[in-house]
Amino acid sequence: MTKKFSIIILCLALCMGVLLSSCRLNSSNLYETHEFLMGTVIIQKIYHKDADKIAKEVNDRIAGIESAMTINKSGGEINLLNDAAGKEYVKLGEDTLYVLNKAKQYGEISNGAFDVTIGPLVKSWGVFTDNPKVPSKSEIDELLKLVNYKDINIDFENSTAMLSKKGQIVDLGGIAKGFAGDAAIEIYKKYGVESALISLGGNILTLGGKPDGTPWSVGIRNPRGADGSYIGIVSVKDKAVVSSGDYERFFEKDGVRYHHILDPKTGYPANTGLIGTTIVSDYSIDADALSTTVFVLGLEEGMKLVESLEGVEAVFITEDKKIYVTDGLKDTFTFKDESKEFEYVEKR
Amino acid sequence: MNNVKKTILLGLFVSQALILSIVESWIPVPAPVPGVKLGLANIITVITIIFFGFREALAVVFVRCVLSSIFGGGGWMLFLFSVTGGILSAAVMSLLYKSGRDKFSITGISIAGAISHNIGQILVAAFFMKDLAVAVVLPVLLISGCIMGFFVGLVSSFLEGALRKTRIFD
Amino acid sequence: MLKKGDLFIFGFVIILIAVSFFGVSLYKNSGKNTNKIAVIIKDNQEIQRIEIDAVNEPMEIMISGEYNDIILVEKGRIRFKEADCPDKVCVNTGWLTEKGDMAVCLPNKTMIKIEGQSSDVDIVTY
Repeated sequence: MTKKFSIIILCLALCMGVLLSSCRLNSSNLYETHEFLMGTVIIQKIYHKDADKIAKEVNDRIAGIESAMTINKSGGEINLLNDAAGKEYVKLGEDTLYVLNKAKQYGEISNGAFDVTIGPLVKSWGVFTDNPKVPSKSEIDELLKLVNYKDINIDFENSTAMLSKKGQIVDLGGIAKGFAGDAAIEIYKKYGVESALISLGGNILTLGGKPDGTPWSVGIRNPRGADGSYIGIVSVKDKAVVSSGDYERFFEKDGVRYHHILDPKTGYPANTGLIGTTIVSDYSIDADALSTTVFVLGLEEGMKLVESLEGVEAVFITEDKKIYVTDGLKDTFTFKDESKEFEYVEKR
Repeated sequence: MNNVKKTILLGLFVSQALILSIVESWIPVPAPVPGVKLGLANIITVITIIFFGFREALAVVFVRCVLSSIFGGGGWMLFLFSVTGGILSAAVMSLLYKSGRDKFSITGISIAGAISHNIGQILVAAFFMKDLAVAVVLPVLLISGCIMGFFVGLVSSFLEGALRKTRIFD
Repeated sequence: MLKKGDLFIFGFVIILIAVSFFGVSLYKNSGKNTNKIAVIIKDNQEIQRIEIDAVNEPMEIMISGEYNDIILVEKGRIRFKEADCPDKVCVNTGWLTEKGDMAVCLPNKTMIKIEGQSSDVDIVTY
């Protein structure tokens, strides 16, 4: 009889061992870092044993992309390109050439709604500076003459490019973060990372799902709510989610809000009835460019463009607080608005 | 048994329990809160129940705890921990004992007593912390309680036999 | 030595252990997206919340009261590093790493516990 007891006690002791060890099963090997780059906060969440090394490599890569493509600091290739506008071709590296070409392509697809030669106007408005102003109509009309994506001339054979007119300025602000995000994912893949999330100033990219296999839950920013508030959630794996809106950078003068997304045709902040757009796609360079593009195009044209593109879905938020979602996203979009001010329109 | 003899024997039990208390405080217990003990002193509680009864066992537990917290320092918090566990386990064990020795073995009773002892202590800890979160140690504590209860039961069975032979308690 | 009633006791105890185990597992895993937040409580008042997964550099927090404690926070874990209380149970508890883990310095009425801050989203765009 004592033997039976001893066996039972032994089993219990084994249970204790199992319990103690299984308690640690959930030990996350999550590595999270926050870094200030490209003028904003880069957050990386990586599940991998070498995460710290990988995160550093990603940050270095992003820093490199920033120095090559920025026009807010000296040095770099785009500055060279802009300085040589109307004069001569300049040599560009592989990354810059790629992004410039992509930007030009988006100019074509959107018929000029997305145009990186908008640099002179951005500078004039100064929305990104401490002294924004409303330029005069005549100044805007003058500067509009310098805005034309067709003036981006790329010579692939020699890896050079040139802007046709003197005074033209390329501003890759609407697409560079997208490129950087994809570069980060490439690095994660190189090391065999299976689960990661990176945010580049609010541009979200996901690699795989979470370690337990469930998709990442990405909130869509509430354009009128506080930081971190959202009106809906998309459940994604291996997708980029990028939002644009009139809430990101703006200033107010005489009761009018002037935001940073300029319409390349009018020279004024895009005013097509949208306050926020979000693109979900496989690559963030596309999501980055398209989120700005469809914001400028407006709900109808924007929907049409997104529906014509493979593998791209979108969320549109109008100024009358209505939310529209493309068909392909309906299954993974969950409407959740705590402010109760928005309405989800399911049928158009 | 006359009262003087009873008092002396119970006094001896208290001192034995005290020593066991001190010894068991040397054994580390997997709980984030101080005062949680394994329950070695339950050996004495069981023996008191067998040879005397519930009321006497309660008295022994109480006196043992008072003395233990006076000698061991730790103040009234430690006292509350020991006394709650001790009372709960004494109650459970005497209940089982009274309902029949043919139904429950000393070992089984001791395991039940050890479990009650641990649960009582966790309840007190939760009350102190005003937070039920302490209960996360329950699974581990319960298992160690079982093992300890088994040990206590074995020792108690032996002790019972040995003590009966001495005929002191007749 | 084994009697009939003993089997009841065993059954009961095993059920108890199983239930408490499941309860604890549920608690530890509850919430779809849980960030681990270490909460420092003194005198039943919450004095600090730290998102331990976002900590990159180790940092120390001094707690003074009837006794003095030093709390050490590193990426993903937290513990009582030093305490001048008599029993040192808090320091001996070691590292807290999972939701539900806790350490208490009873004499100094200080407690660290790891809560999960449940959120429906992992991150929000902007």
